[in-house]
Amino acid sequence: MNQDLLRIGNRELSSRFFIGTGLFPNPFVQKEAIKASGAQVLTFAVRRINLESTEDDSILQHVQHEDFIYLPNTSGARTAEEAVRIARLARASGLSDWIKVEISANERTLLPDPIETLKATEVLVKEGFTVLPYITDDPIMCKRLEETGAAAVMPGAAPIGTGLGILNSYHLSLIVEEANVPIIVDAGLGSVSDVAQAMELGVSAVLMNTPVAKARNPVGMAQAMRMGIEAGRLAYLSGRIEKKRYASASSGYDAFKLM
Amino acid sequence: MELVINGKKQELDAETIQDVINHFGLTGKPVVVEADGAVLTAAQWASANVRPHMQIELVHFVGGG
Repeated sequence: MNQDLLRIGNRELSSRFFIGTGLFPNPFVQKEAIKASGAQVLTFAVRRINLESTEDDSILQHVQHEDFIYLPNTSGARTAEEAVRIARLARASGLSDWIKVEISANERTLLPDPIETLKATEVLVKEGFTVLPYITDDPIMCKRLEETGAAAVMPGAAPIGTGLGILNSYHLSLIVEEANVPIIVDAGLGSVSDVAQAMELGVSAVLMNTPVAKARNPVGMAQAMRMGIEAGRLAYLSGRIEKKRYASASSGYDAFKLM
Repeated sequence: MELVINGKKQELDAETIQDVINHFGLTGKPVVVEADGAVLTAAQWASANVRPHMQIELVHFVGGG
């Protein structure tokens, strides 16, 4: 497994766990959970600074930049134009040219707007960003994003923060089959079994936040998720057996039966 | 002069973006500035003059997925 690297843009990763930085109970637990996850890619959001409070609430004070690749998102954007604006601001930080395009059109489901996502991806690829769009698990849409120049495509398993797991494993496996760029399951996963299932389907990585940050023990869950990802990946590479309708004995040697 | 910072009108004694950053105690912090729609990197702040009613956004990274 040592040589099983994930290549995105011009970077090679040994971890297939992308972890979000929201919702953790406190910075200490967050830091420990990130450590336990083994993640090399951290996601962030871009927001206005609260000028009323001089207290430093920037997430960056709690992580060592050199250890990670930053993947800022465009959450809060409702149109391609807004997403492009957030992406440019994120890049101006000088910390990363990776961007997760996230454009929600519906507040209840937070499902991505595919048309706006495609438009934003097109613009940002032309501007030289490493673009990772978050999108619904639609095989054609994922292909279109790949053709537009996305460095990886990130279909959701289920709506953000629901923990419903993989709602359409058929679509997800089709997306993987058709893809020439890494497929990263982003959003909707809830448990280690969800994560292992995603990896068994052949996706390249998973992005999670809520299932770790809101677990009773985020540090323990981060480690469990890491193990689930590694198990699922190794299982995928090793090839599971075909399913059969009827039993077949494990011992064999029919000719030497006692009775 | 009157500036619009993060959507709010503010009366500020500032000539450059760097003065605005200093005013809010954000010096040396990972802040990104947008002034009238143009993104400014930290290297540009000291030479970027503010003008009355300029729309300034001061943003940073927060936790997110």
